[in-house]
Amino acid sequence: MNFRYMVPILYVLATPLMGGLMMGLDRKITARMQGRVGPPLVQPFYDVIKLWGKEPFISSRMQPILATGYLVFVLTGLTLLALKADLLHILFTLTLADICLIVSAYNSESPYSNLGGRRELLAMLSYEPIMVLTAMSIQIVTGSFLVSGIFSYGTPLLLVMPAAFIVQILVLIIDMKKSPYDVSGSGHAHQELVRGVYTEFSGYTMALVELGHWIKTVFILSLICLFWAHNLLFGAVLALALWFLAILADNIYPRLTWKSMLRTTWLTGFTLILANFVVLIVLEVI
Amino acid sequence: MNTETLIAVNIGLPIVSALAAFLFNHRRAREGIVSVTALTLIVSSLLLFLNGGMELSLGHSFEVIVVVLDFVLLLYFLYQGFKALSWQVIVLSLGQLAPAAYFEFVLETPPVEAILVIDRLSILMTLIINVIGSIVLVYALGYMEEHESHQGGESRQNLFFFYLVLLLGAMNGLVYSNSLYWLYFFWEVTTLCCYELIRYEGTEEATENGLRALWMGLVGGVAMIAAMYVANYGYGTIAIDELLAAIPSRYLYLTFALMAIAAFTKSAQLPFQSWLIGAMVAPTPVSALLHSSTMVNAGVYLVLRVAPAIQGTYLTYGIAFIGIFSFMVTAIIALSQKLSKKILAYSTIGNLGLIIFCAAMNTPLSYSAATILLLFHSMSKGLLFMCAGVIENRLHTRQIEDWKGLISRLPVTAAITMVGMVSMFLPLFGVLLGKWAAIGITATAPLFLSIVMIAMMVIGSSATTLFWAKWLGHFAITPMSDSEPAKENLPATYKLSLYSMLGLVIAASLGSGLVLNRLVAPIVAMNYGKVWDTSILVLSSQIGSFMILPLWAALAAVFIVGGLIFRSKGGVVKPPYMSGENVEGEPEVFRSTADGVVKYQIAGMFFDPDITESRWVPYSTLAGVFLNMILLALVIL
Repeated sequence: MNFRYMVPILYVLATPLMGGLMMGLDRKITARMQGRVGPPLVQPFYDVIKLWGKEPFISSRMQPILATGYLVFVLTGLTLLALKADLLHILFTLTLADICLIVSAYNSESPYSNLGGRRELLAMLSYEPIMVLTAMSIQIVTGSFLVSGIFSYGTPLLLVMPAAFIVQILVLIIDMKKSPYDVSGSGHAHQELVRGVYTEFSGYTMALVELGHWIKTVFILSLICLFWAHNLLFGAVLALALWFLAILADNIYPRLTWKSMLRTTWLTGFTLILANFVVLIVLEVI
Repeated sequence: MNTETLIAVNIGLPIVSALAAFLFNHRRAREGIVSVTALTLIVSSLLLFLNGGMELSLGHSFEVIVVVLDFVLLLYFLYQGFKALSWQVIVLSLGQLAPAAYFEFVLETPPVEAILVIDRLSILMTLIINVIGSIVLVYALGYMEEHESHQGGESRQNLFFFYLVLLLGAMNGLVYSNSLYWLYFFWEVTTLCCYELIRYEGTEEATENGLRALWMGLVGGVAMIAAMYVANYGYGTIAIDELLAAIPSRYLYLTFALMAIAAFTKSAQLPFQSWLIGAMVAPTPVSALLHSSTMVNAGVYLVLRVAPAIQGTYLTYGIAFIGIFSFMVTAIIALSQKLSKKILAYSTIGNLGLIIFCAAMNTPLSYSAATILLLFHSMSKGLLFMCAGVIENRLHTRQIEDWKGLISRLPVTAAITMVGMVSMFLPLFGVLLGKWAAIGITATAPLFLSIVMIAMMVIGSSATTLFWAKWLGHFAITPMSDSEPAKENLPATYKLSLYSMLGLVIAASLGSGLVLNRLVAPIVAMNYGKVWDTSILVLSSQIGSFMILPLWAALAAVFIVGGLIFRSKGGVVKPPYMSGENVEGEPEVFRSTADGVVKYQIAGMFFDPDITESRWVPYSTLAGVFLNMILLALVIL
């Protein structure tokens, strides 16, 4: 076995573990913020194992395939990232995963699930442009969409495009389904009775989707690490800082409507990233 | 077989078969004529692809025939204008008759050496026209039988197939022409076919939309004649290859700008988008043909032809800007549409805009992106229109809101339609390869222009993903009431055309490396250099790499793993959760408080009233007019 592939493989294998632990940590931190003790750190693993053994109820025959599709395509995207492949292509793969989840939610004739799927779609519409714009900025700065190009670029991206870094917090909030932008299905019982996009998932399909969501969160945090690719440890610190801010926001803000989500993400996202461009052009960096 | 024969077959056979189909108005005869034509055209275009290109000069007699036919055509348009009392048609056909007569009979124009030039670009176009067009012809045989059986009365199919088959011949002629006059002639023939096919149903709406298509097509004709005058005045020639090689001047750019405007009319770019939307009143095979392999591609072809000669000019960025503007606006309008054919039409305009944008951005990668998009879009859109026609003939509605539970009612068609939709916006298919490259080259314009274009590109792409995804989702809704899949019987013509087009879409995406090497690379190499580095797994260019096959491997993994999980775990299909008690055996109903029975309905998301056609179309059309005027001003000033 070639050593070159060892690190990516280990990273991909460790991700579900990391994701589960971070989910547990998230719940712990949230509980402390709310003055509760909170569940044990490994509670998410117990949850998924229990879900896996539950009675197999499905909403249609397509559902198990689509739930698997969500998990597998998130993993594919993660693998491509680990192999330092093309950033834009990685984002397209992420879309593919999201679409699996969304179509699966639409698939059943449940009004709640349909509404959830629709809101998940709008959530995707809110964060994806930011990610694509970021990828385009990276391409303009480094001359390539390849993740390896970021590593070989002279300066850390954070120094060149700080505005693009700041808006990643929005991406993270939406992806982690945190308030104020948890329109498609929150993790908190106080937020809603019927769980949006997840309404019609139960048992093993829910376990698959939950696992996919963990991995996706780590995946997006990994993308944020790229803002300081020269020392990934520091990159991880940056990403975790944003992660903590997202949890903090979750406990401070109530849910907002999808329209305000769309408006805020698009306005801030576009304005900040494009302004970043203008500054770079004026400073003759690009 | 030698190349001359193949060219003669590609242009001549459709004309002969069209006449034959017109004369023998009988089902069996028609089926024989059309299928033989379809098969021959596919074979001859493949042979032409293997033979490679050539230049061809034709005798003077051909020239005379073309000129005579052209005047007959223009007089026919004028007659139609008087018959319908449409001042646009009258003015625009007079506006061509007089200048064309002056040009032919008074002006001294040197003859064009090579009337027809067949190069790699023409060959790609011919493959698209003949292979995809022929599949649509076969589909049309089945469709029109079903369609007429609903209507009754005497068959008018002979007229329909006359223009349908003729359109293929005209398109072939158009992409081979090197003389602007010949190009102009075939251009007008496609306008004629389009007009006749759109008004075929004879309803008031059909007549009105046909006339709109006609006068917008004639605007293109006027622009072409003007381009001929400018070229002749500035350079004393109307041979396209000589113009492309000429030393640039204001006249050259004006010629190309006029040709670009003609291209916008055919490719339905803003502000000329309304004719293509109106074309949906025609029977679905017409849409399948216009949107995929013919008509709209004529405009794109012209831009692809001209683009290499205007690298680095304001003109090229002006054209690119109109392209991306159309892409963005139509993607947004498509969000609000409820009719299947309208969504597809707006998506076509958007994709054509994207192709024009890519071609006019004028880098090697962007040029290849344009050809990739052209090829893959035509296959997927042909497939989608054919499916839409089948569903419409079964359900008698175009409202996508009413297309429910198709997975169990029409399992085969529904599955093919879903693949078609996925092929338009997800990275398993070639369209996304083109879009990937398009996003990558957006920033290659002068930087401050790039910023605007980047924003437009991202907005357009997001809206595109959204309108496809929400349609796909709505399409996938499976009511509990009909969980047992029905058996679907498709006529042989449907089976043949749908399966072969589906096969093409999938095979071309799987073999995208081969497509890039054999079809795209030679075209790009004519004017630029090498762009793509293809290996089995990775297609890479200087900006990054795209991997289609690994994603298909992941898809296979989804089915294998998902299937294994399903097999081991099983699954009991349960009615959805409804915040109340489900009523046994009755879908879309649940018991609420005090046992009251509540009915519910799932509706789609159409962003009413934020986006409405009536509000968006006038403003965007106005913006389109404005942009076109800027384009001309840029060149003249």
